[in-house]
Amino acid sequence: MFSTVIEQIVNGIVTGSVYAIVAVGMTMIFGVLRAINFAHGEYYMLGTFGAWFAVDYLGLSYEASIIVGVLSTIIVAYVVGRLVMQRMVGAPAEAGVLATLGIALVLQNTVILVFGGGYKFFSGGYIEPLSVLGFSLAAQRILILVVCLLVFIGLELMVTYSRMGKSMRAVSQNVECCEVVGIDVPKVVLHTFILGAALAALSGVLTAPVNVSVYGGMGELITFKTLPIIIMGGLGNVRGTFFAAMILGIAESLVATYVGLQFRDTVGFATLILMLMWRPYGLFSTQARF
Amino acid sequence: MTGLPILEISKISKSYGAVKAVNDVSLHVGRGEIAGLIGPNGSGKSTFFDCSTGLQRPDAGTVKLDGQDITGWSLNRIAREGRMLRSFQKTVVFKALDVEENLVIAGQMFTFPSLFSTFGIGRLSKKRISGLRDRARELIKMAGLWDVRHQPAGNLSGGQQKLIQFASMLMPEPKIILLDEPMAGINPKIIERVIETILYANKSLGVSFLVIEHNIDVVTSICQRVVVLDQGKKLVEGLPHDIIADERVREAYLGG
Amino acid sequence: MSLADTAQQIRRRDLRLPLAAILVVVALAAPFIGSRYVTHSLIIALIFMLPAHGLNLLVGYTGLLSLAQAAFFGIGAYAAGLLAVHYGTPFYVNATAAGLLAGACALPLGIPALRLRATSFVMCTLGFVIIGQAIAKNWISVTRGDMGLSAIPKPHFALGPLSFTVSGTTSFYYMALAIGALATLAVWMIVRSPAGRNMIAIRENETLAESLGVPTWRYKLLVFIISAVFAGVGGSLYAHYLTVVSPLTFQMYYSTTMLIIVLGGGAGTISGVVFGSLLFVGLTEALRITPELRMIAYGLCLLVLVFWFKKGFAPVLNRFWDMIGGAK
Ligand SMILES: Nc1ncnc2c1ncn2[C@@H]1O[C@H](COP(=O)(O)OP(=O)(O)O)[C@@H](O)[C@H]1O
Ligand SMILES: [Mg+2]
Repeated sequence: MFSTVIEQIVNGIVTGSVYAIVAVGMTMIFGVLRAINFAHGEYYMLGTFGAWFAVDYLGLSYEASIIVGVLSTIIVAYVVGRLVMQRMVGAPAEAGVLATLGIALVLQNTVILVFGGGYKFFSGGYIEPLSVLGFSLAAQRILILVVCLLVFIGLELMVTYSRMGKSMRAVSQNVECCEVVGIDVPKVVLHTFILGAALAALSGVLTAPVNVSVYGGMGELITFKTLPIIIMGGLGNVRGTFFAAMILGIAESLVATYVGLQFRDTVGFATLILMLMWRPYGLFSTQARF
Repeated sequence: MTGLPILEISKISKSYGAVKAVNDVSLHVGRGEIAGLIGPNGSGKSTFFDCSTGLQRPDAGTVKLDGQDITGWSLNRIAREGRMLRSFQKTVVFKALDVEENLVIAGQMFTFPSLFSTFGIGRLSKKRISGLRDRARELIKMAGLWDVRHQPAGNLSGGQQKLIQFASMLMPEPKIILLDEPMAGINPKIIERVIETILYANKSLGVSFLVIEHNIDVVTSICQRVVVLDQGKKLVEGLPHDIIADERVREAYLGG
Repeated sequence: MSLADTAQQIRRRDLRLPLAAILVVVALAAPFIGSRYVTHSLIIALIFMLPAHGLNLLVGYTGLLSLAQAAFFGIGAYAAGLLAVHYGTPFYVNATAAGLLAGACALPLGIPALRLRATSFVMCTLGFVIIGQAIAKNWISVTRGDMGLSAIPKPHFALGPLSFTVSGTTSFYYMALAIGALATLAVWMIVRSPAGRNMIAIRENETLAESLGVPTWRYKLLVFIISAVFAGVGGSLYAHYLTVVSPLTFQMYYSTTMLIIVLGGGAGTISGVVFGSLLFVGLTEALRITPELRMIAYGLCLLVLVFWFKKGFAPVLNRFWDMIGGAK
């Protein structure tokens, strides 16, 4: 009994890591743009499809497919960023919601139109179990945990030391000032957006061997999981997002085991609504940006 | 100035984090009086207004309007039931709506007895609205906005918008009006007009005023009594010419 | 006044009325003009027009962006479906119950949600749809889970000794048309009332409205409930027309569709919503394009609307109306 609980918590942390990598990009985009990206899960889906295409059609190895998945997503993100996201600088919140909803519809249905709506099988990845501290865990899951930690450490270093990172932090703290000081806000927005989309794609490619099935609607599900996370984490707050993702991952895993699998996908929004009633501004400060 | 004061605010305090924006300030406005509230920028005048009118919840203190305790009432209830209206430092009007519509909206909640009655479109409702429209036109004439009454308020100059804001507050036959820097950033011609309107409302309509104002000439010419705030605290209170002469007030302004 | 002027004035009056008359005649004669498929498309447009009218009150007049409309649509659909399946009640009972239940659900949901600021409010309303779907899937004893309700009887009316069933597409069209017309009239009355003016004031500047005595919070809650009632009645039509209801009635795609009708037609205008329903739902249904292409088109529409046509089709419609009215 006790060991299953621990096992479920560990599984939850892995799921939380997947969400965290996706959500951190979404929350950073909110930081610089003050807009919720409803299409964010679609980049997760694009990354997965890119990798699946590389393995299935091109016969590449899983390692190479990671690169194909992420790179193809970056290209799409560049186009979307140029045509849409940069225009959203200074636009009202509704405009952001509607424009990104539009992008989500276009991306998702284009992929379904091209590759068909059915489930595809993803083969590849490191699925053989490893034994760590008495637990048996698929190597792929350990990889996800490690990548998640690296991503967050990397982001922390980037916003502290790199020029672009510092600009991102500055814009998310105060857009008006940055315009005055001469920071190229649209450029920062584009870079943040591409970075976020690439992270989402990476998360998708890393998860594909665990989830196995690949389908056009998978991005929407991820969007619905990450939306509550970034609100709970305090919009724009990177560390808050990390913890919120872990909380949700663990909660989902426990609910799936002890309440019922069918309730898993509702945990996020149910938690969010309960939390909003208790603390309307999120669990973590929205002032503390990254 | 007979009997009880129309507005009696006691020991209001409000902090934002570590900043004590308003610190234990008491103030009253007599019936029919025009009182002034001055102080350097950041001394807590606007915050004091916000706490008195229900826009912000004060940490401590009570507000009594016309003998009734209105502490904790919401902004809309204080306006509707208390007939205490306020303006904002940053002028606001319904930009997309024309001048007349702006004024009609301002009068609606005082004409219709309940929320549900505002959904009526019958004869009674029409009669009430046409009554409001007549009153709006009168006030528009008085404010000198007749020629632009069908233009969107957002198209007009800052001074004209201030006049709209002011005329809107007169729609409900208020008991007292709180003005936050009504003369800031408008040209002298319109300043004259605003002063005229304030005096008219005060003399003919019996409206009391509490006015935040930086223009010291305006303060001395319209206010009967002045309260000075500095760093959230009440510094002095007295007749306008005494205040100007007061050493502490000069220091506060020069130091701040 | 010269003769030419008078002639022009007559022309001015003449053109709008005939056009309105033609539109009414076309609406009434539609089942006989077009094919059965056209009638079907018009019915779908009319069904979606109801929640869209409600959403317009919320988004267009009060300035609250909500994605919850599909949740109330689903609640209405299930309420009507369950009543019809289990009790065989007449349609007007089902529709009323659907509207009332949706409105009753909107009260406890709106109270916490409307306390939230812009983004959190949108998320919360989206949450209602997702949780609604989960409930529909898992409350199996009532909703029959993923199987949903099927064989919902065609709407029937029983007024004293008079009793009839709306069985064919044509008769259903007239019923939907009548309900759509009533709903449009109801919105018109709300918008024309002083409350409508207060709603616009809240949209334009909430704090200012508040400072002028408008109880903004109560208005927002009331409009949220009214919009849910419209969605609920729309859901009852949906259930009776398709004769099946599944948990997929609760889906964000429906909320998005309703949003596109409102924003594409012209938020804050009534004619815009009517036009939007015909264009975005009726036309796409009639064109029989694949669902994927339709959604891509919706997506592109959203982008175009956000960046180039912020006011939707309403300004174009207005200009046309003025033009045929003979205005300069
Ligand atoms: N919403 C707020 N959050 C934090 N600090 C505030 C806020 N509003 C006002 N303050 C602070 O309260 C003090 C008083 O401000 P204010 O009332 O606007 O002064 P005044 O109107 O006299 O210029 C200032 O130090 C200001 O920085
Ligand atoms: Mg001030």
